[in-house]
Amino acid sequence: MSNNKVSRRQFLSYTLTGVGGFMAAGMLMPMVRFAIDPVLQKSEGGDFVLTEKKIADITEVPERVDFTFEQVDAWYKSDITNAAWVYKEGDQIIALSPVCKHLGCTVNWEGDPAHKNQFFCPCHAGRYEKNGQNVPKTPPLGPLDQFEIRENDGFLEIGKAIPNTLV
Amino acid sequence: MHWNGKDSAVFQAQKEYIDTAVIPLIVIDGSEHGFPFAASAADFTLSLANLIENQFKGRIVLFPSFSYTAGQDKQSLLDIWKEELLKAEFKYIFFITSDREWSTLGDEHDVIWTPSVPLDSMDQKMRNSVLEDQLRQLIPIFAKKWAN
Repeated sequence: MSNNKVSRRQFLSYTLTGVGGFMAAGMLMPMVRFAIDPVLQKSEGGDFVLTEKKIADITEVPERVDFTFEQVDAWYKSDITNAAWVYKEGDQIIALSPVCKHLGCTVNWEGDPAHKNQFFCPCHAGRYEKNGQNVPKTPPLGPLDQFEIRENDGFLEIGKAIPNTLV
Repeated sequence: MHWNGKDSAVFQAQKEYIDTAVIPLIVIDGSEHGFPFAASAADFTLSLANLIENQFKGRIVLFPSFSYTAGQDKQSLLDIWKEELLKAEFKYIFFITSDREWSTLGDEHDVIWTPSVPLDSMDQKMRNSVLEDQLRQLIPIFAKKWAN
């Protein structure tokens, strides 16, 4: 007879504590994981898409720059091509969204020969100034959105759309 | 706009601005040598239709493509579509197709014929630029009809 003998009562209490501990841990772990989720998110910069446009090639005339990113829709992955109107204002690079604020058509720079130096929406003749400001008395009710941009090794990177900061 | 629930709500609310219907016409060809051409042309027409939708999102409704076989009476197909769409108060109805048969019908039927370009062997970038070129040629056609 050893002194270390475990009594039936002790055995049951050890077992229950152990199993209970696992169950509690099983419940708490996901909660903790969710609580600290924001910390585990990918760091900033993941949203920027590299374009093939060299910063040095950007002029004062708005030019269309296409950029492609992968969109994941549940299990379906697709490449989405989006565009921006990019130009230089002084030292600043400006990228405007081509989506008309009226009903979502695509606007073109100088798309209407009668209105030079403006963006033109062919759907309902909406017009915007170069900085995206909508021209009064045309259908759009707000200025064109702007894209966040940054430079990466001489090339332009385009981020998410933000409300126009120029007007 | 696409033909779906979300866009149809916008359509109902903005009827005065969204006045154009676009229907791709796709020919189905079961014959041995026609099959691959028809399939490739369908790919092209549908890609182009999506690009048109993207360009003119706020003025057109892109309908699901209409597929038919060569033997069907084209004139009556058009008439049936038009009759139905006029109920929804569309002012302009465009059909786009790569099937040459339609070009014999004449201009007044608003069938826009574009020669099909085989897209299958192109990479994404090439595809986009070919389609953009086609779109650029179509914009004036739409603008002209709308101006009248």
